[in-house]
Amino acid sequence: MDFFLLLVATGLVSGAAYGLIAMGFALIFKSTGVVNFAQGELVMLTAYISFSLYTTFDLSFFPLMLVTIPISMLIGLVLERLFIRPMLGEPIFAIVMVTVGLAVILRGVTIMIWGPDPFNFTAGIPTEVVYIGSVPFYPAQLYLIGALAVMTFAGWAFLRFSRMGIAMRAVAANETAALLVGISVSRIHAVAWMLSAAIASVAGVLFAANFKLAPDLWFQGLKSFPAVILGGLDSVIGSAVAGLIIGMIENLFQGYVGQGLREISGFIVIVIVLMVRPYGLFGSKDIERV
Amino acid sequence: MRTGHFKERTGQLVALSDSKVVWSFVALLFALALVAPFVLGNYQVTLLVSALIAIVGAVGLNMLTGTTGLISLGQAGFLAVGAYTNAILMMDFGWPVWLSLPAAGVVAALISILVGVPSLRLKGLYLAITTLAFAFIINHVILYAEWLTHGPNGIFVSGAKLFGFDIQKGKPLYYTALAVAAIVVFAALNIQRSRIGRAWMAIRDHDIAARVMGVDLVRYKLYAFMVSSFIVGIAGALISLQIRFVNIDVFALILSIEALAIIILGGLGSIAGAILGAIFLSLLPEAIRLFFDTFSDTNSSFYTTYVYEIRGITYGVVIIAFLRLKPEGLIGLWRDIRKYWSNWPLAY
Repeated sequence: MDFFLLLVATGLVSGAAYGLIAMGFALIFKSTGVVNFAQGELVMLTAYISFSLYTTFDLSFFPLMLVTIPISMLIGLVLERLFIRPMLGEPIFAIVMVTVGLAVILRGVTIMIWGPDPFNFTAGIPTEVVYIGSVPFYPAQLYLIGALAVMTFAGWAFLRFSRMGIAMRAVAANETAALLVGISVSRIHAVAWMLSAAIASVAGVLFAANFKLAPDLWFQGLKSFPAVILGGLDSVIGSAVAGLIIGMIENLFQGYVGQGLREISGFIVIVIVLMVRPYGLFGSKDIERV
Repeated sequence: MRTGHFKERTGQLVALSDSKVVWSFVALLFALALVAPFVLGNYQVTLLVSALIAIVGAVGLNMLTGTTGLISLGQAGFLAVGAYTNAILMMDFGWPVWLSLPAAGVVAALISILVGVPSLRLKGLYLAITTLAFAFIINHVILYAEWLTHGPNGIFVSGAKLFGFDIQKGKPLYYTALAVAAIVVFAALNIQRSRIGRAWMAIRDHDIAARVMGVDLVRYKLYAFMVSSFIVGIAGALISLQIRFVNIDVFALILSIEALAIIILGGLGSIAGAILGAIFLSLLPEAIRLFFDTFSDTNSSFYTTYVYEIRGITYGVVIIAFLRLKPEGLIGLWRDIRKYWSNWPLAY
């Protein structure tokens, strides 16, 4: 039983990281209809920037995030303006391919700036082990789960109550109609990228604090795809929940079925979900008969 | 000068080309390709072999992504299947290379059904994600099925003999790759002008309309998957012959992105474009290396440290630049030049 609890607990931790990254994917997909293949690279880039801030100014966690998040939002805005905006009106395929190109560029630039060696990055979070029941946790793990909870709640409240969030849902439901009632769709797209980059930075810093800040951090973006698909591509809250589920599935597979299955169990879930329920657990069903 | 095309028989509509000029140019190019290894040095021939293999792979991907409109991010997976099938059949089962090379294509095509069937209900982005997932699953299976694939140890591939020549180096390898590329290009051109090819284009342009016109979507999408993977599998087998050591690290995600960069650069849906793109993108890293070499030693050590990153950035820049500035690709550029030339001095 202890083994099971431990697996679930560590699964929740990695699942929280997936959930955060998946929220970033879903936010951009919801408002722009584009799967941002550069999300993982955004996570990586913002984590490295945060690391540089941390080593220069020696901040503790919350001030660090207070500096990192605005910088990340600025990066999101710049990327959207430079790379995505000029593609407005092009086919979705072209825009998605631009994000794929953007992904390899960001990855290369990040590795060239910070070098190929991994760093230890505590992000100003204490490192003494905390016990909850019989299960030991590092504070960084609890921060990660806490961040997911906060972000999910904030995301829900934002989309439910704020003017911008409601406008975002309007754009997601029908872009032309939203434009007709006076919503600036291009501004919504920019905001989606900014918020997505902000979530990416939280995910990146906390992931690096839990594991390591290494050049393969971008891969977490791809590993979060199962969560995005399971949650439904256009459901921000759904992807957060699905992230936790995927994290647990991965760990339970690893623990009970076989070594190394952790890496692909998520992708097996993708294939199954797409066959059975392509719009995911919480996504909106898109009826189209062929 | 021709002022226009006047087709009088239906046969002319589907002919590969009714222009004698085009055929003579193709013949001239082929003749040049035949004598190239006698003129060029060993290193240049090796580069040409890589370009030829890239042509085979790009033509394969183009069938799926360019002609049928199904985005695949799993090319690295199919290349790996082809390379490993060829290596295992040759080294562990002792098959001759003329048998294992097509077998690599067949195995890749069979495995593509596994990906194709769950993907039939999907299109666009979802499909891209499934193929990506598939590539990871393939990599994992290869890494862990040690009894078959030797897992992380990799396989040395040697002793591939065809008509008594060792086709793994120098001129014999070049001519093998050239022959395979020529056959694949010719076959692809012919498939594209058949009923199957037209059905694929109909699916790409509007799948609901295609269904209404009587195109069986399930069947033709599966055909696209199988034909494309067959060709890509053969490209993988050629890679295994060229690099002589098959290891899972060769087939990283960047390879799938390189493949997409090639067909976007060349022009989606065009076989001539795929050829142009493959040649251009295989020679581009070389051009960059020369660029860095002309600077001092510090710069070339910078290049060797970050060779993968520089390569990745190059692909990214190529993808973004072409999508933004010339979505029709190099072949579109060529068409513009041709039109400008034949209409000169009029604007159009």
